[in-house]
Amino acid sequence: MSDVRALLAIAWKDLRSEARSRAATVATVFFSSVTLVVLAFALGRDADVMTRAAPGVLWVALAFSGVISAAQAYQSDLIEGAFEQLLTLPVPRAAVFLGKLLTNWLTMTILGWVLLPVTAILFDAPIGSGIPILLLTISLGTLGFSIIATFYAALTANLQARESLLPVLMFPVVVPVLLAAVRATDAIVTGGDPSLAGDWVQLLAGFDLVYLVVTSAIFHIVVEE
Amino acid sequence: MSLAPSRRPAWLNVLAGAAFLSVAIGAYLGLRVSPPDVNQGDLIRVMYAHVSVAWVSFLAVGVAALAGIAFLWRGRSRMDVISVAGAETALLYGALTIIGGMTYSKPTLNTFWTWDAKLTLTALMVALLAGVFIVRGLIDEPQRRGRVSAVILIVVLASLPLNYLAAEWFRTLHPAKAIDLTGGGVTIDGTMLTILLYNVVAAGLMFVWLLVERVRIGMREVEIDARRVQADEGSSEVVRV
Repeated sequence: MSDVRALLAIAWKDLRSEARSRAATVATVFFSSVTLVVLAFALGRDADVMTRAAPGVLWVALAFSGVISAAQAYQSDLIEGAFEQLLTLPVPRAAVFLGKLLTNWLTMTILGWVLLPVTAILFDAPIGSGIPILLLTISLGTLGFSIIATFYAALTANLQARESLLPVLMFPVVVPVLLAAVRATDAIVTGGDPSLAGDWVQLLAGFDLVYLVVTSAIFHIVVEE
Repeated sequence: MSLAPSRRPAWLNVLAGAAFLSVAIGAYLGLRVSPPDVNQGDLIRVMYAHVSVAWVSFLAVGVAALAGIAFLWRGRSRMDVISVAGAETALLYGALTIIGGMTYSKPTLNTFWTWDAKLTLTALMVALLAGVFIVRGLIDEPQRRGRVSAVILIVVLASLPLNYLAAEWFRTLHPAKAIDLTGGGVTIDGTMLTILLYNVVAAGLMFVWLLVERVRIGMREVEIDARRVQADEGSSEVVRV
């Protein structure tokens, strides 16, 4: 089986498993909604502040949901030693990593696309006309999150205190992606300078690429016996 | 089974003396010899201590990450010990950087914290290093522990420049316009620059001494662990690592 087919097979397996159990979907949807509402109350004194804070709020909700989603990605694999069995197959480790990444990224992107209008409504922040590039930005931002989260979730999968350890390890590394995503979203929504938005989106893509290359290269060390 | 005491090498004491002496001289230079700044007066003297430990903290992270990569390559425990020593001193120097930064920013900017790129980067670096130590504490098997910690340090090393760039451009407006690698030049008085560089060397010397001492302790720990394993297995062979 070629590497790409193996990658897609792993992604498809995880997607089907998630579609049946919906554990991660329920958790992330619920948690991101709660985050949005809490932030709406926290910032709600000043309507102008709420509008300006909307891009950041969107990414806060996505960031926290991303951690939950990543932790869930390996949960089912730990039952019955399924992950070890997966590793015995002649599949390159990077393909396993990318397969899990693909699923996590897809679910996070869909969540992000859904949260976009919800945030815009709750925070009275008009989206403006750059919807395609906005969807692209969300996809690139969730990609960065997914790369780091999938990587560290594998690392902490069989450690104690993994639920609290994952955000501690992830967030300092994910900060460049978060900053770039927030600035890009803000630039697109306020719509002042199109080249500014373009530059931030390119920067975001650059960060994603660096992290993708580094994590794919060293993933095999994380899951070796 | 007693541990044969290894003699403390003479050059190590010389190094320690040189390190402390150079730091003391650097402090004297910064406090007394340096002229006060045109704008900030005597507050600029904090800069000597602050900038020097900041630079060395990033050097230390580099040492830790490179030693980790060396450990991944060959698996020699000494490399893992160097990696841990580098990470610990990086954490120490990073904490000192933040304390120095806060000492400096309160009188000058009237705030203890600004989210400027360098301070943000240092705070994130400290958080990343804390993560390394937490994970190391959770893994018992030495080879696995060293390999996982090396992997994390590789990601840490990759994230530092990205963090700096993102934090730098987050507050300023335009990333494309700010990519100017021609170098802004150092706008600092000649004497002050010399004193700053001297302090950097002093901080570096102290770092080297701390690193060597910590590696000595670490290698002893490795030796003790190995002997304990040998004792458990009932072998009486002397262990060499």
